[in-house]
Amino acid sequence: MADEKEVETTGHQWDDEEGYPLKEYNNPLPKWWLYSYYATIVYAVVYWVLYPAWPIPGGEFTKGVLGWSQYKQLDEEMAAGVAARKPFNDKLAALTTAEITKDSQLLQYAVSAGKAIFGDNCAPCHGSGGVGSRAGGFPTLVDDDWLYGGTVEQISETIHGGRAGQMPAHLDSANGSFTAAQVDDLAQYTLSLSGSSTDSAAVGRGDALYHGDAGCNYCHGDSGKGALLGSAGGEKLDASIGAPNLTDGIWLYGGDAKTVRTSIANGRNGKMPAWATDTEGTNRKLDELEIKQLSIYVHTLGGGK
Amino acid sequence: MGQKNDSIATYDYGIVKMFSVMSIAYAVVGFLVGIILALELAFPELNGGIPYISFGRLRPLHTSAVIFAFGGSVLFATTYYVVQRTCRARLFSDFLSKLTFWGWNLIVVLVVVTYPLGLSQGMEYAEMIWPIDLLIVVVWVAYFINFVGTLAKRKDQHIFVANWFFLAFIITVALLHIINNLAVPVSITASYPVWSGVQSAMIQWWYGHNAVGFFLTAAFLGMMYYFVPKQAERPIYSYRLSIVHFWSLVFLYIWAGPHHLHYTALPDWAGTLGATFSIMLLLPSWGGMINGIMTLSGAWHKLRTDPILRFFIISLSFYGMSTFEGPMMAIKEVNALSHYTDWTVGHVHSGALGWVAMVSFASLYHMIPKLWGTTIHSVKLINLHFWLATVGVVIYIVAMWISGVMQGLMWRAYDDFGNLTYSFAETVAAMHPYYFIRAIGGIVFLLGALVMVYNIYMTISTAKDRPVVAA
Repeated sequence: MADEKEVETTGHQWDDEEGYPLKEYNNPLPKWWLYSYYATIVYAVVYWVLYPAWPIPGGEFTKGVLGWSQYKQLDEEMAAGVAARKPFNDKLAALTTAEITKDSQLLQYAVSAGKAIFGDNCAPCHGSGGVGSRAGGFPTLVDDDWLYGGTVEQISETIHGGRAGQMPAHLDSANGSFTAAQVDDLAQYTLSLSGSSTDSAAVGRGDALYHGDAGCNYCHGDSGKGALLGSAGGEKLDASIGAPNLTDGIWLYGGDAKTVRTSIANGRNGKMPAWATDTEGTNRKLDELEIKQLSIYVHTLGGGK
Repeated sequence: MGQKNDSIATYDYGIVKMFSVMSIAYAVVGFLVGIILALELAFPELNGGIPYISFGRLRPLHTSAVIFAFGGSVLFATTYYVVQRTCRARLFSDFLSKLTFWGWNLIVVLVVVTYPLGLSQGMEYAEMIWPIDLLIVVVWVAYFINFVGTLAKRKDQHIFVANWFFLAFIITVALLHIINNLAVPVSITASYPVWSGVQSAMIQWWYGHNAVGFFLTAAFLGMMYYFVPKQAERPIYSYRLSIVHFWSLVFLYIWAGPHHLHYTALPDWAGTLGATFSIMLLLPSWGGMINGIMTLSGAWHKLRTDPILRFFIISLSFYGMSTFEGPMMAIKEVNALSHYTDWTVGHVHSGALGWVAMVSFASLYHMIPKLWGTTIHSVKLINLHFWLATVGVVIYIVAMWISGVMQGLMWRAYDDFGNLTYSFAETVAAMHPYYFIRAIGGIVFLLGALVMVYNIYMTISTAKDRPVVAA
């Protein structure tokens, strides 16, 4: 740095209030500063030669010798991404889900693609990783309890068309046909199916209503295990009804007495939207390949059947 | 010395005192709102579902409080102080001085009322609805006349360098404000801008970036050019450098706005010009830092005993760092990673807290005792403020660097198959701890400002007990 004795001030001075007036040395521009400044100017000029830079009359501009544009860069990067995935996507489109799950590399690919689709489309309700939300009545996808079936085909069907829950209201003040006391009894019986009732007299009255006037058994089954296929008393569930098993202690909205009573009193109408692109192709949500990838991903989350 | 006694009697220090006190009050309010916002980002339920304090309405209140209320008041105070002292002349018009004070504070009050009510133009840093915009024009024209009128009365023919920067700031901000806010009113609270589409975006960021360039850079460099040599009692390092970097800075800055709009509908050529002029702006910006820091050469020992000088040096260091970071972020390839992330927020705050707020604190610590003819209540408390402010800024910007770079990298991360690795929600979850750390940095910074409030209050209220002995 410069020795102050070698440099003269400019001779101007201001503001002598405190006896230390403002003065100015006139040191030369630091060499490193000046040459760095020149270097940035050279950088700019080279950049102008290489890239689109200056507008010229007639609504045109200098295009730059590299021929670069941001849209071209976008197209190239997108095309490279599509090309990288194409071999996998072609195979996925041609094979059935059963065949895909047998090929470990294809399965890995489908899960990787499905995870990205899930994160942007499904996670807002079903939670990151599919843990679900009891407060919102969004089912968890990581256990083996499925309302509408847990095979890849059934999951795919659910994603395609969506699902609409239809548990009706029962309390008279909520457009149902039963008194508050009867709803209490039904709640006690429902809780008894998973061994958590507290009032055995109420359970008895609720039992009669369940299999009688309220007709709960038509959907939830005589034993409360959900709708069963056929009338022979077999144990095969009819997954198309979507009526929950009331005996397994797994609850969509919560299994405490108050929540169960609320479910019976007011009904529940959970909605899963349809994700397939409509037949005109105007309302694009997910295409067939994406639903295939997503179904396989959801199937691997924990409870696929 | 002969000039001393008659000039000090004629200066209008009353207006400088009023703006100085308001600037400190607005600093505390602005920082506090910033902390509330930082906590709302980390814990969104904190807004309690109340629309008036939701993030979208408080955020412009924070930016306006710190830039226009705090920064603006500091600038009114210091320009009025510096122009009088360096011209040896009282301010041009007492009426215009009062008009700028009451007008500016009325604008701040109107902003505080309208933003929480949701009355906004929706343009960043220019959210004020059109009646407030008009009031700003009135105040700003009064400011311009008052400043130039004082310059015209100067007793020394040569204009001191700080005043070049101040004049460039006042003229350019007038241009930016008027052109960006051209609009057709449709009611007392609503208007439609005359600019539309990509032209509107371009004008907005021409305004936005030069609000940074002329309000928060050129004007505060003017402060630096007066207060650093005054506090150090040393001549400015290089008059030649001040001329070259002043003209380079004002010429190059005005082009840099398009770097805010890379990879948008803005034409490629405009983006290139924004990026390259930003790169060329690096060394002219550093000219001010060199002149400030080198002014201390030969007086480095004073840093050990004078926390005000320490404030100046750290503010110049943050200034140098931000003005290096800015041009780098203007390069398209870097911007592709940094844009829309917390990195930008960190960059802004290293400039706003590290440079603008710190150089303001230092100038106020220098100026306020002189205004009241006293000495500072406690040098130790200035030192405490220095450390709280420095630690607070560092916590803040390091949290935002990590959060921002991580966010940018997560957005563009692909797995081996070419599928996106992370969903948007996962990137938000990853940022959560850094949002909390950022709020802590802000709280530490505010604590420092509260130490200043106490110190300044004690200085002013006991000024008569510590009269300055005549030099």
